[in-house]
Amino acid sequence: MRGYGSTLGLYQPGSGFLYRTPLPVKAVVSLACAVVVIAWRSPATSAVALVLSLAALTIGAHQSPARILRMLLPAAPVLGILAVYQGVSQGWLHAVAVVGGIAACLLAARAVTLTTPTQDLLDGVARLARPFRAVGADPERFALALSIMLRSIPYLAGLFVDVREAARARGLDRHPRVAVTPLVVGAVAYAHRTGEALAARGLGGAVDEEGIGEGRPEDSGSGAGRTPPRAPGGERTDPWDAGGRPRLSPGPPSRTGVAPPRHLRC
Amino acid sequence: MQPAGKTDAGPARTRRPSSRTRWDATDLSLVAVFAALIAALAILPGIPVGPLGVPITLQTLGVMLAGIVLGPARGTAAVLLYLVAGLIGLPVFSGFSGGFGVLAGPSAGYLVAFPLAALVSGLLAVVVLRRAKRSRTLLLFLACLAASLLTIHPLGIAGLVVNAGLPVRDAIVVDAAYLPGDVVKNLLAAVLAVSVHRAFPRLLAGRPVPRA
Repeated sequence: MRGYGSTLGLYQPGSGFLYRTPLPVKAVVSLACAVVVIAWRSPATSAVALVLSLAALTIGAHQSPARILRMLLPAAPVLGILAVYQGVSQGWLHAVAVVGGIAACLLAARAVTLTTPTQDLLDGVARLARPFRAVGADPERFALALSIMLRSIPYLAGLFVDVREAARARGLDRHPRVAVTPLVVGAVAYAHRTGEALAARGLGGAVDEEGIGEGRPEDSGSGAGRTPPRAPGGERTDPWDAGGRPRLSPGPPSRTGVAPPRHLRC
Repeated sequence: MQPAGKTDAGPARTRRPSSRTRWDATDLSLVAVFAALIAALAILPGIPVGPLGVPITLQTLGVMLAGIVLGPARGTAAVLLYLVAGLIGLPVFSGFSGGFGVLAGPSAGYLVAFPLAALVSGLLAVVVLRRAKRSRTLLLFLACLAASLLTIHPLGIAGLVVNAGLPVRDAIVVDAAYLPGDVVKNLLAAVLAVSVHRAFPRLLAGRPVPRA
C-alpha cells in the first residue's frame, strides 16, 4: 500500500473570507458559475467569471498566482488543445470564451474544496440529501457509502501499483489482463471484508426485518453532523475469501458508540 | 446541460430506497468500493486524444465493470456515487478534476452517460449470466459494446456539440477516435468480469432473482 493518501488531501488550512463563508453559499456560487458559463457563452461572461474566481482565490483564500496556476496544471493539456482547436476553427475570441469559461469553473470548484474540510463537504452532501427522506432515501447510508468510497481509493491505488509491479517482476506488465485482474478481484474481496466489518458493527445494515427502524425520531439531531464512522480497512493480512461465502447477517444493531444508521421505512 | 448536476445527484438518493430493502452491508460496501475503483482507474494518467483532448482513460473500463460485475441496480448506484463525489469537487474525474466545472467541459456528455451505460450493461449481463453457459466472455463483451454504443457515444457526441461548440459531423468524427480504445476496454472488462464471477460465484449469478 503506497502513500497515495495525500491525493485526496484537498483542504488546505488557511485564512481569508472564503474559509468563513458557509459551505452552501460557496457551493451555490460554484454551481452558478458553471450554469452561467454554459448558458451565456461569450467572451465577456467568461472574462467576468474568470476574474471573479481568481479574485476569490487570491483575496478570499490568500493564494499566490503561482499556486493558482498549479491548480490548472492537470487540466492544462485538455485546455491547451481545446484552445488551439477553437482558435483555428472559430476564431480566437471564441477560444477565449470557451477555454476561459471552463478554467473559471474549474477554479471556482477548486476554491470550494480548498477552503472546506473534506468531512464538512461530506456532511454537506448528507444534509443536501435530507429532503429526499420524504421519498424514502437514507442520508446516513448515503454518507456512509461516500466515506467508504473515499477511504477505499488510496487502498485501491496502492493495490494497483503493487499488482503492476508484481506483473512486471514476472515480465508480464504488457498484458493488461494480468495487470488488472488481481486489482478487480482484490477490490471485490476488499468490499466483502468491509461489508462484514460493517455488519459486525451493526452498520450499513440491512434491513430485511422490515420496520425495525420505524421508531427513529426525526429530531435525531443534525443527521449530517453525525459523521459516518470510519470503516475498518487495510487489513491486507486477511486471506482472500473464497467465493460464495455466506453473507453474515448483520445481527442486532449494537448500541455501543455510534448509532447505526437505521433506515426509516415509508 | 445545466440540470445535469441535479439529475445526477438526485437519482443517487432517490434510487436507493427502491432497492434498499434488500441491500445489506456487503452490498453497500460493494457499491462504495466500485465507485472507488472507477475513481482509481480514472485518476491514473489518461492520454489526451483528438483535437479536443478528451482523454482516453480506464474510467469507462471501471464503469462497464461496475455494470457487469455488480448488476444493474448496484452498478448504477456505484457510478452515481462516483459522479456525486466528483461533482461535489473531489478530484476523482480523470486529470484530477472535479466539481461542477466539469459540466462545462467537453467531456460532460460522457460523464452523464456513465450511469446509463452501467444500467444497460448490467441488465444485459444478468441475462447473459443466467442463460449462457458457454462463451460468456464473448457475450459479456457484446453486452458492454451494446451499452457503450447505445449510451456513451451518443451522449458523448451531444456533450461535444453543446459544450465544445462543434458541428455534429465533427463531433461524430472526434468521438470515433475513442471507438478502438473502447472496443479494447470492453473486451478487457468482459475478461475481467468472467474472472471475478468465477472467483465470487454468488456475486450476481447466484443471487436469487430480484423478487417483485
